[in-house]
Amino acid sequence: MSKLVRQWIPFIIFLPASIIVLLGYLMPVPGLLYLRDKLVEWATIVAAFALLLGTFNIIHVHVGQIRRRSRGWFSSFVLLLTLLIGMIPPLLPEGTSLRSDLNRAVLDYVLRPVGAALAALIFFTLALAAFRLLRTRHTVASVLFLLVVILVLAGSVPLEGMEQLTLWRAAIIHVPAMAGARGLLLGVALGTVIAALRLIIGGERPYSEP
Amino acid sequence: MEVEAIVLLLLSGLVLMILLILRGKKGPAPSVRQLPAFQKMPREMEYAAESGTAVHIALGSRSLYEDDALVSLAGLQVLTSLADAAVSFSAPPIVTVGDPTLLPLAQDMLRRAYERHNRLEAYNPANVRFIAPTPLAYAAGAAQTIATGGVTANFIAGAFESEVSLIANSGIRRDLPQLSAVTTPAAAGALYPVSDHLAVGEELYAAAAQITGERRYLLSLVAQDVIRVVLVSAIAGVALFSILTG
Repeated sequence: MSKLVRQWIPFIIFLPASIIVLLGYLMPVPGLLYLRDKLVEWATIVAAFALLLGTFNIIHVHVGQIRRRSRGWFSSFVLLLTLLIGMIPPLLPEGTSLRSDLNRAVLDYVLRPVGAALAALIFFTLALAAFRLLRTRHTVASVLFLLVVILVLAGSVPLEGMEQLTLWRAAIIHVPAMAGARGLLLGVALGTVIAALRLIIGGERPYSEP
Repeated sequence: MEVEAIVLLLLSGLVLMILLILRGKKGPAPSVRQLPAFQKMPREMEYAAESGTAVHIALGSRSLYEDDALVSLAGLQVLTSLADAAVSFSAPPIVTVGDPTLLPLAQDMLRRAYERHNRLEAYNPANVRFIAPTPLAYAAGAAQTIATGGVTANFIAGAFESEVSLIANSGIRRDLPQLSAVTTPAAAGALYPVSDHLAVGEELYAAAAQITGERRYLLSLVAQDVIRVVLVSAIAGVALFSILTG
């Protein structure tokens, strides 16, 4: 009985669901489309519950860190405090101006600036990584990588008398970089097809006991 | 039915056929190309166990119901493949996820490994951590986990973009060995300078075969390689034909 519940019932649910969704995309027949959309809708509902699970996980992990006074416990405290404060606006009566003002304030003064700051930070981490490459790895590939990075960056700047750089930049982006990216995507698509087939034929069952 | 659908069905049929032919063959496991990014992971896990610390595994921030679902699943496969080694070395990994749908699956995979080794009492679900539902916030949170979590190696496997450099940068600052497997050009570009070993593109799907060496995974990898040669030959053939016919 246990084997049936843990092994076969998930597979019995998974198999028709996956085939219906796949066929729904390949053959847009009205009946199949209806079933496909319903299944995708259910997946979205389940995902919403997963967010709840995720929130409990955050609370569990960070309360544990505060209790143990682990390294970085103060960050955990700030995170939990922010989580609690973030819960206030949705709890206020719907349609009130206070609720919408608080929501907008959180978005305008916290989420957007922090997001923008993090996005800006990426540039520095990338530059730091390139600099580190210069110090630690002395190979032809590394030198080529850095040369291309410098060329593409310099080609993005509208410098007078250096129009040639812009042409080189365009040539790099449109020929070798594009070919590489397409090759990468083709490989990923192939790997995805094989992984999906392994799932459908039951060769891989992440959703149940093996 | 559209052309893409027909091509996909034909490709799927071809893959299935090769998989079935290979499965039917007896004999030793096929030899496959070596990918150091995955082969070094169990060794790093062993070092972590010896030093009484843990490794960090970042699984990315794409959900299981979006386009990148299978990339995320491939990342989870890295965790599955390493989970047994982690439990046997008593070095539970700290796993961070950036989408809540990955959380129960990652927890379940780790729990199953403990169950297989009859050590369920040692399983701690808090070792799998949901950080934040947006890629940037996730990357920043995972970087903080590396900085404060006392980890001795950083594994990155899953769906990422350039934000992954925040995670990698945190690893550099602590001078950790970094092994990565990503599928997008942006993430590959961000990780190339800072990873000790990097697996790119479809190599992520080779993780289970490389880490576990199990026959079923090796067969999938061989099938993938065969199809790739077929596809590349077809593309080259069509290109050559177009050039010749003007």
